[in-house]
Amino acid sequence: MEAVVVDAGSKLLKAGIALPDQAPSLVMPSKMKLEVEDGQMGDGAVVEEVVQPVVRGFVKDWDAMEDLLNYVLYSNIGWEIGDEGQILFTEPLFTPKALREQLAQLMFEKFNVSGFYDSEQAVLSLYAVGRISGCTVDIGHGKIDFMQLLSAYLLMLCPAFYLCLNSFHINKNIAPVCEGAVQHIASKRFDIGGTDLTKLFAEELKKSNSSVNIDISDVERLKEQYACCAEDQLAFEALGSSCRPERHTLPDGQVITIEKERYIVGEALFQPHILGLEDYGIVHQLVTSVSNVAPEYHRQLLENTMLCGGTASMTGFEDRFQREANLSASAICPSLVKPPEYMPENLARYSAWLGGAILAKVVFPQNQHVTKGDYDETGPSIVHKKCF
Amino acid sequence: MYGGDEVSAIVIDVGSYSCKAGYAGDDTPKAVFPSVVGSIEQTGETDEAKPDKEADTASDSKNGTKPMDVDKAKTKRKLYVGQELEFRRDHMKVISPMKDGTVTDWDIVDNIWNHAFRQRLLINPEEHPMLIAEPSTNTGQQREKAAELMFEKYKVPALFLAKNAVLTSFASGRATSLVVDSGGGSSVVAAVHDGYSVATSPIGGEFLTDCMMKSLESKGVAIRPRYSFKKKEISPGEYTVVDLDLPNTTESYKLYCMRAIASDIKESVCRVPDTAFDEVAYANVPTTSYELPDGQTIEVGADRFKIPDILFNPSLSQTIPGVDGFADSMSVRGLPRMVIDSVNRCDVDIRKELLSSILLSGGSSSILQLKERLEKEVLEESSGNTRVKVLASGNSVERRFSVWIGGSILASLGSFQQMWFSKAEYEEHGVSYIQRKCP
Repeated sequence: MEAVVVDAGSKLLKAGIALPDQAPSLVMPSKMKLEVEDGQMGDGAVVEEVVQPVVRGFVKDWDAMEDLLNYVLYSNIGWEIGDEGQILFTEPLFTPKALREQLAQLMFEKFNVSGFYDSEQAVLSLYAVGRISGCTVDIGHGKIDFMQLLSAYLLMLCPAFYLCLNSFHINKNIAPVCEGAVQHIASKRFDIGGTDLTKLFAEELKKSNSSVNIDISDVERLKEQYACCAEDQLAFEALGSSCRPERHTLPDGQVITIEKERYIVGEALFQPHILGLEDYGIVHQLVTSVSNVAPEYHRQLLENTMLCGGTASMTGFEDRFQREANLSASAICPSLVKPPEYMPENLARYSAWLGGAILAKVVFPQNQHVTKGDYDETGPSIVHKKCF
Repeated sequence: MYGGDEVSAIVIDVGSYSCKAGYAGDDTPKAVFPSVVGSIEQTGETDEAKPDKEADTASDSKNGTKPMDVDKAKTKRKLYVGQELEFRRDHMKVISPMKDGTVTDWDIVDNIWNHAFRQRLLINPEEHPMLIAEPSTNTGQQREKAAELMFEKYKVPALFLAKNAVLTSFASGRATSLVVDSGGGSSVVAAVHDGYSVATSPIGGEFLTDCMMKSLESKGVAIRPRYSFKKKEISPGEYTVVDLDLPNTTESYKLYCMRAIASDIKESVCRVPDTAFDEVAYANVPTTSYELPDGQTIEVGADRFKIPDILFNPSLSQTIPGVDGFADSMSVRGLPRMVIDSVNRCDVDIRKELLSSILLSGGSSSILQLKERLEKEVLEESSGNTRVKVLASGNSVERRFSVWIGGSILASLGSFQQMWFSKAEYEEHGVSYIQRKCP
């Protein structure tokens, strides 16, 4: 039986059988509506009792998570009770050890899976484009992760692991060279993400359309439809006067105009003071985080930069990022990695899931995952020893 | 709640340059950030809040009469730790909690610990036993203060204080060794056996970086800190550098940023010379080029060898214009001398064993060729018939974090679990009990 890969994000839950060159079969919101009798899934448009099992990337509500996974694994993917397979989870950077153990405990004790593995989303995104060294900037709904993966540090994983990893890509003519280890000392995590951008967008729309009352979930959809990035800072400032207004009809019939607010959303990532934060934009953060790694690796890291996450698929974002990168205060400029052609479109949104699918194909057949036997013997802390 | 019996201990090592924190059992710390903090004074007086006017004589007299009141009134200041320090703010000074290797400002250390627990590791300190690495020269009073802070404020369930040198020894699996810890703020040579004999010198990585900076300045190279410029595209593919004018940046912040760049130069370019540095002999050595963040390329020649040689021959630093002399220049010795002195203060029986297991640790020990040169010099200065062996882990990451790694190993040992100084014992016996529990 094929392994299942689950990427539980703060906004969307991506799940499916591990087939690496296709998008995940199930993409659904992870927000849930609480009903009195038994928890049912629903779109989070209801005002009362909206439950979010995943907040800022971390699982906060375990009961809700259990219900959600129940639906995903049994009703959707088609597992049968008594015949559960193997599952691979993704997690954000700097997940506390306790959380990993709790997840392992949930899977083995409630769901009775036969095998479990978890890995960091940023690492999986790099695997999805066929690299084992480079940086990832993972801009999700609840958090931004900067991660550096280096191919020069030895890992305890069996070398055959990486040969298998390579073989998936070698068949499509890409060949990364050696093992990779996450440089935690240089990685960073920020608790801002798509949700803060949505709030910003809502505030801006309120300012210009003060008579209209817009619901936050509608703003979310508007953001996805209209938000984009200006070409560079000067262009953004010039927008104030010359911008094409768009008129949009809301589901309840009201009409709003959207002018330069759509650019503010993209700009906020490059100029965080728009969000009220005292910090530098994401390109600067990337450069400074890389400078914490030994100098001989800087080139290797910066020239293989990967952008991923839902927010990164904004129109104009990649171009703006590349432009800002060329202007950055660094001798070596970050340059973005081109995803392979055989990967599905919209790679940025699902790259963590796709990387997970690739990893699942390697880890489970080679028995490097946590099996039920291991768990019964050692307890949840086995997850720290076996999963990197 | 976790399912397992083991609750991971946390190992934290606050050095003079960087702070390392992480879970016990891991092979590297998860959180590494500078141990200096940015501070913005928030007093009512606007004169006090402009530190870059300190040299101004007009406000000098005012400052002269104020300090007593200011200190008594406990100026409120906002501290920026770790990540927040990287953002340039007006009037933000860079201050260090340590002086000469010991903690002088516990408020800052408190903030650093808080940042490490809540923002980097994302843990609740009440649930994890803590292992703190302390300098080998720590006084009893300092330890009591640390214990008090941990138990009262963070309410940790258990605590242990271990000396840096002992932890490094642990990391390499030896019971007796001579630890040469060349870190950011100072170099410490400590013999680990039953007792301690410690020799310290104020020459550390930071001092070497300063020398590098001054040396480059004297040759006319201007290092631009990262925040002070931005690039503009004049035509596709071509960029010019535009200086930004930011008048309210404090001198200390500017120095901090420039140091960061100079230390990068030092790390990528410097090598310890095989023999003592000689101006004349190295005058014609081939230069290496280094590209600064703003695009300028500089050539570093003799400095490549001169700067690291300061560790062996401190008086070399006097030849660099602008570097302050040491207050007590007679007692500042080079590393080989410190090693020999330490060994001679120990028992005659273990001297041989000490000399054959000299461990290198600390950030500055990753300078290329340091191991070979140190071995050679110690052999020369010792009687010559003893076997001298300097051991250093091949991996530079391990050397830099060897104290932390030792702590991680120690805290995850089964036999260590009964040695913790628990909260119950603290409440029963008081804070001075720590002297007995943590030797």
